[in-house]
Amino acid sequence: MSFTSALRGLGRTRTAGTRRTFASVSSSGVNPGSVGPFQVFDRNAKRFQKDRAAAKEGGERSRTVDYVREEVADRMIERLLDIKRKFDTILDLGSGPGHFSKLLEPETTSKVVMLDSSAELLNRDPDSDFEVEVERIHADEENLLEVVPRNSQEAIVSCLNLHWVNDLPGILIQVKEALQPDGVFLGALFGGDTLFELRTSLQLAEVEREGGISPHVSPMTDSRDMSNLMGRAGFTLLTVDVDEVKVAYPSMWELIEDLRDMGESNAVIGRRHFIHRDTLAAASAIYKELHGQEDGSVPATFQIIYVIGWKPAPSQPKALERGSGKTNLKDIL
Amino acid sequence: MQPSSTTSLTPLRRLAVHSTTTCASQASAYGKCILATYTDTRKDACKEEFAKFGACLREAMKRKW
Repeated sequence: MSFTSALRGLGRTRTAGTRRTFASVSSSGVNPGSVGPFQVFDRNAKRFQKDRAAAKEGGERSRTVDYVREEVADRMIERLLDIKRKFDTILDLGSGPGHFSKLLEPETTSKVVMLDSSAELLNRDPDSDFEVEVERIHADEENLLEVVPRNSQEAIVSCLNLHWVNDLPGILIQVKEALQPDGVFLGALFGGDTLFELRTSLQLAEVEREGGISPHVSPMTDSRDMSNLMGRAGFTLLTVDVDEVKVAYPSMWELIEDLRDMGESNAVIGRRHFIHRDTLAAASAIYKELHGQEDGSVPATFQIIYVIGWKPAPSQPKALERGSGKTNLKDIL
Repeated sequence: MQPSSTTSLTPLRRLAVHSTTTCASQASAYGKCILATYTDTRKDACKEEFAKFGACLREAMKRKW
């Protein structure tokens, strides 16, 4: 009650036209037009990094570090082959040079449309590397609906690209909107345990040498978030699973070099553009002692989250209502 | 690694080589010190170990920083 009377009191002073107190100014609402999704990644820097990596040595360096993406593309194509359907076109969102698209066969689809924000990476490999017809669109993945009409796609895939998208819930909604009813989205993205060895080594080195930490490895999503986000975006019949790719390197230095050539350098907004060489050397020593294997190599973990979701359609099979089952599970098990 | 081939490497590559091979024992000592305290690391917790590691690196790189 005291609260309402205080409010009334406030109203009275304002109508009376007395001097405004500071408290009455602070309640200005937030204009929805001026707040976008929280910006974590510098998309511009990321595009430059990818372009530079793909152009290096005529693309040769970029091709030698394809191993992680090729492995994941290989595991993802199995999931696509489980879908017994022949597509006319598949949209590969954030395709890069087409690690995934290259594995597509004419029995699965007639055509693939590759979309990526890095022109160098998109055009790195010739059409003759592909078994199906290819179309390339150079556009920002974050604004999918600007280049792809709504309700137009039979299938959208995304292989290891969504970890650089600022607005992950937003892009999933755009994907759902771009799909036809009963269209399928198949994605693979890096999970939160990715590069935890590098993350912890750099953090420990920075704390011990400089007395503080700064972001060197991006924040990444985890599998629970992904199922929630997929559900929130309106997908049905969700499948989310987690997998790991472990790669052994001679030392931390080769890992960093390969990450750079993959175009996967740090692009967090507010990152430090400089690591002191003492800190780097310290991180290398810590990496080896903390995570090193017996044969002298150091491991790097890439955690992959695979998601499959369908755009709802009336013709789709649905889960039965709760309690409508007639067979007792006890009789079967 | 032969000195003639190290000169063609970039400074970062040279740092990489020296921190993992030339100064491997000092690096290992420093790493073990961190390993012993990594649940409660603070600034300069392994200062002495790093001083030896750093001195070795500066010696191998033939420059100061």
